Amino acid sequence: MPPRPVEKHVHPRGIFSRFKGNLEAIAIGVKYFFDPKRSTLIYPKEYIKLREGYRGFIVLVKNKCISCSSCARICPAAAMKMVKVPVTDPKTGKQRIKKFPVINYNRCIFCGYCVDVCPTEALYHVPYHDIVYESMEEAVTDLESFQKEPEYKTAKEGLPVRYIVDEVKGLVKIRVKKEGGEKK
Amino acid sequence: MTGWVEAIIKIIEWPPLWQLVVLGLIAPLAVVIYILWFERKTAARVQRRIGPYHVSPRIAGGLQLLADLIRYSFQEVIIPKTVDKAAFISAPLIALILSILPVVAIPFTDVPKWFPLPMDYSLILALALVTLSPLFIIVAGWASNNKFAIIGGMREAYLIVSYEIIAILSFLAATAMTGTYNLVDIVHAQTGWKWFIVLNPLAFFTAFVGVLLSTSGFPFEIAESEHEVVAGAFTEYSGLMYGINMGAAYLKRMIYSLLLTVVFLGGWYPLKPGEGFIWGYLAPSIVIFIKATILMMIFSFFRAVYGRYRLDQAIEIAWKILFPLTVIAFGLGLLEAYYGII
Repeated sequence: MPPRPVEKHVHPRGIFSRFKGNLEAIAIGVKYFFDPKRSTLIYPKEYIKLREGYRGFIVLVKNKCISCSSCARICPAAAMKMVKVPVTDPKTGKQRIKKFPVINYNRCIFCGYCVDVCPTEALYHVPYHDIVYESMEEAVTDLESFQKEPEYKTAKEGLPVRYIVDEVKGLVKIRVKKEGGEKK
Repeated sequence: MTGWVEAIIKIIEWPPLWQLVVLGLIAPLAVVIYILWFERKTAARVQRRIGPYHVSPRIAGGLQLLADLIRYSFQEVIIPKTVDKAAFISAPLIALILSILPVVAIPFTDVPKWFPLPMDYSLILALALVTLSPLFIIVAGWASNNKFAIIGGMREAYLIVSYEIIAILSFLAATAMTGTYNLVDIVHAQTGWKWFIVLNPLAFFTAFVGVLLSTSGFPFEIAESEHEVVAGAFTEYSGLMYGINMGAAYLKRMIYSLLLTVVFLGGWYPLKPGEGFIWGYLAPSIVIFIKATILMMIFSFFRAVYGRYRLDQAIEIAWKILFPLTVIAFGLGLLEAYYGII
């Protein structure tokens, strides 16, 4: 049964309560005009320092990789691909083919499934994701570049900040240290 | 050589030129550019943003408006094939001229030598000229042959019907108090801090809201509300023509502010016009412009606070609340005149 239409009745406000409401609104405006609580992030000069565990760019630790291909299989965006690399077996000294993952950041949605599924923790996140590539080809990593942490140019040029919710002031921007903990 | 300089000074001092070109066009344009910057900065300040910044960070983005002006000036003016060309081009220009023209009827001094027109019926003349320009906004909307433009023009028409009587009646409350249409006499009646804003605050309030309604300032920015009718009657305009349209509303608000200053805020008082061009004409005009600029700043502050009323809400406010208040203000003026307070 479809819901019945209900006639909503809004009690009309009197003239004086309307005037009072207008005056209150203007008073709040004046208060903010003389005491502005700006929270704009001036981006290239400041950047938000993200916490550890943030799902940013992904880095491979090649020594831990056991070539199980779980990351490539679970990837919902098909960004992760396995490439075949000839390696020398350390025990027998024979030449053989081993598979390693590479990632295409044009497709990656930063879901972090590959990091979660990896049985040997060979993949990890870095806590930043604002990196600009100049071309589409640059965003496709090969095995060498997948093992390095990508360069974070914003951190070199800007100052790290973090937003916290203050009980009195609301959203507040605070300066933090570049490395490690917070600075009040 | 000195003859040339004297001749140029004589031409500048000539009241029609000084009042129409310098006080009527250049000075309000400068004030409007400052006010646009102030409006954006104030809205940003109240809404916890920064506002224009990156064009000139040292002077808080002060050159942003100049950059916008240059952009509007050099943008291509597109005239669509479907519009009524003559009306489409002429309507905003006439609206701009008509919104500046009332300045001829506003006295900036009480020395009769500097009046561009005889000031006997100046209040009536200024109000009549001020209320002409919205007609051409409707013409612009109609000529654009666009549904948003026509809806915007019709909204403007609705608003004219509701605000015009309020604005005119509340200005005429000053006439009820002094018994004259002469703006110079109205200013003279306000000597010794007997400003009409103190004697009749109700009339000032209704005139203030009437000006907000007529120049589509917040919270009555209904005729060109962006979320509903793109840019109202100015939807089809581009480049400099759009800039003219937007500037005309601000210039009209500036002229209204000058009128409010003369009628309610004591005109050139506390300064008394003296002898010569500088003390007799320049200094009083500067005083009036400073007061009008403060009024403009209050007008633009509302942008930061208010949302937008619906059309029916605005008309309801105009007819059910403001119109009775205006009549009461008019009666208050008559009573004050009867008991000789003025």
